[in-house]
Amino acid sequence: MWKSLCSLFQKDCRMMASGKFFLMSLGFLALYTLYVNFGYIKFMDAEAYNVYLYDPVGTQTTVSTLVQRVSSKEELDTILLEDTNGVGIDASAGEPQLIFYEAAENADRHRIDYALSLLQPSGNYSAEVIGSNTPEQKARREITCELLFFEIAAVGFLGIAAVLFKEKGMGVIRVHAIVPLRKYLFILSKLTIFLLSDLVFAVLLTVLNVGLLETVTILPAVLLQTALLSLVMALTGLACALLLKDFRQFTLTYLLIAIFVASPVFLSANTAVKLDWIQYHPFYHMYMGLKNAYFGTPTDSVAYYLGCLAAIAVLFAGVQCTFRREMGKES
Amino acid sequence: MIEVKDLTYSYGKDKQVLHGLNFSVEDGEIFGFLGPNGSGKSTTQKILTGILKGHAGKVSLFGQDISAAHTQEFFWKIGVLFEFPYLYANLSAVDNLKYFSSFYPKEQVRSIEEVLDELEFKPDFLKKPVSSYSKGMRQRASMARALISNPKLLFLDEPTSGLDPSGAVLFRKIIEEERRKGTTVFLTTHNMLDADLLCDRVAFISDGNIMALDTPKSLKEQNSNHRVVIDYLYQERREEQTIETSELEEGIPFAHDEIISVHSQEPTLEDMFIKYTGRGLS
Repeated sequence: MWKSLCSLFQKDCRMMASGKFFLMSLGFLALYTLYVNFGYIKFMDAEAYNVYLYDPVGTQTTVSTLVQRVSSKEELDTILLEDTNGVGIDASAGEPQLIFYEAAENADRHRIDYALSLLQPSGNYSAEVIGSNTPEQKARREITCELLFFEIAAVGFLGIAAVLFKEKGMGVIRVHAIVPLRKYLFILSKLTIFLLSDLVFAVLLTVLNVGLLETVTILPAVLLQTALLSLVMALTGLACALLLKDFRQFTLTYLLIAIFVASPVFLSANTAVKLDWIQYHPFYHMYMGLKNAYFGTPTDSVAYYLGCLAAIAVLFAGVQCTFRREMGKES
Repeated sequence: MIEVKDLTYSYGKDKQVLHGLNFSVEDGEIFGFLGPNGSGKSTTQKILTGILKGHAGKVSLFGQDISAAHTQEFFWKIGVLFEFPYLYANLSAVDNLKYFSSFYPKEQVRSIEEVLDELEFKPDFLKKPVSSYSKGMRQRASMARALISNPKLLFLDEPTSGLDPSGAVLFRKIIEEERRKGTTVFLTTHNMLDADLLCDRVAFISDGNIMALDTPKSLKEQNSNHRVVIDYLYQERREEQTIETSELEEGIPFAHDEIISVHSQEPTLEDMFIKYTGRGLS
């Protein structure tokens, strides 16, 4: 059995290398890393609004150090003319008056609350600080998790289909029906290579974008979630590639999956959009499993892991069934 | 080697394609399975090679019932040449053969060089990817895949398709060589010349029924009108006469100066196929 699996594995590696799959994965790794380190972290870290205070008689006594004092009303007006996002506080008449350029209603409310809060920094705020991640660390973990999910769910899914469609086109799947080989090994070999490729990708992506020391603590949980997602996606890709006639049909199915399956998951997990039914969406749980692993709080729900294993077992049985059907097809 | 009794098979509820086939193939025999497209040839071969399950009737291979026969050991003993040369196009012929032979016990596998040499494979192409091969070269590489494991039972589907005449002659020679080694050959073909030259016995299959089964010679003899056409010269004129073959026992029964040719009126295997099945081999 091991000899057969080894032969299949070597052949699949050559197929993937000749299809430039590994090269493509390296390209994506470089692209993601450049995006995270030179794009996302730099430009997505928006600075808080600057708050300027004109208080000639010193009515405000508990002002935060984040507030910048100005010496005249003219200076306040000039500075707001240059910093249109800034908020000015004129306390010359005793009662603080806010001055700023109007923007969106919600943003303006936020600017007002923020500016007033800085006048009483030790006020009765009771927000509990949890975790020790810096904002940059949080951003790095979040974006790395999103990119890894996308890579496995989209790129890997397409990759496995491309390899299988090539084999279908060459007709060699039918030859495997008459060679002395346990047929499930054909599927197992492909799963192994995609799983290993995804795990290596996850390690490199995490080390390069989250940092070596931080990776050490979260890596086992991240790899576990990566493995589960990789197996589910690879088996789904195999099933689709075996059931569908050609790569064009597959691409259409892929678009449907991307639109109706992936979009609600990203929307619910990363934006303020609330979808009541999202808890019944299996990929939402897989995405959250990966996200929680990145933030050092891995999912410990037994039902979740049992669900993943059951899905993998059912998909494997289904793929075996469709594989046997493909072997028996007319040319 | 192969025993088939009352074999039936249906694709779905209403599409019965085999209607009770009965035949047997002896050890070392070349058995021809002849029929037009859609007659049930491929289905029968798929059942015999274990690709299709769910048939009714009794089928045994190597003395074992088919349900028990399709094990790893069974696949060690068979070789299959498909109608189309299914190979990994990005790999060379040598790499394809290395890959497919890796599933067989080492002691059973023939040397790749020896098999390719026997098939007169062009040495320049040994390391080139299959995608650069002509149809004939692909067919040779595919035949090499079927022969590499030294099979005891060889299933050949249209072996000479896509080959030039010299390639077809070479393939027939190789099939004859396999027979000499004791290999049993189950040959599925449209090519009546291949069947006539190679097969010990042939079965004509049409619409899932075997319409006739015998040696090619016997099938032709049974349906012969036992006449010959003689083309001759007499008094500087060219003439032709048809006579009963029994009349030849006494010599040429008419006056002539020179015999130009004698043609037997024996039917061809294709004539026989049309007679038994009522249709041509297209």
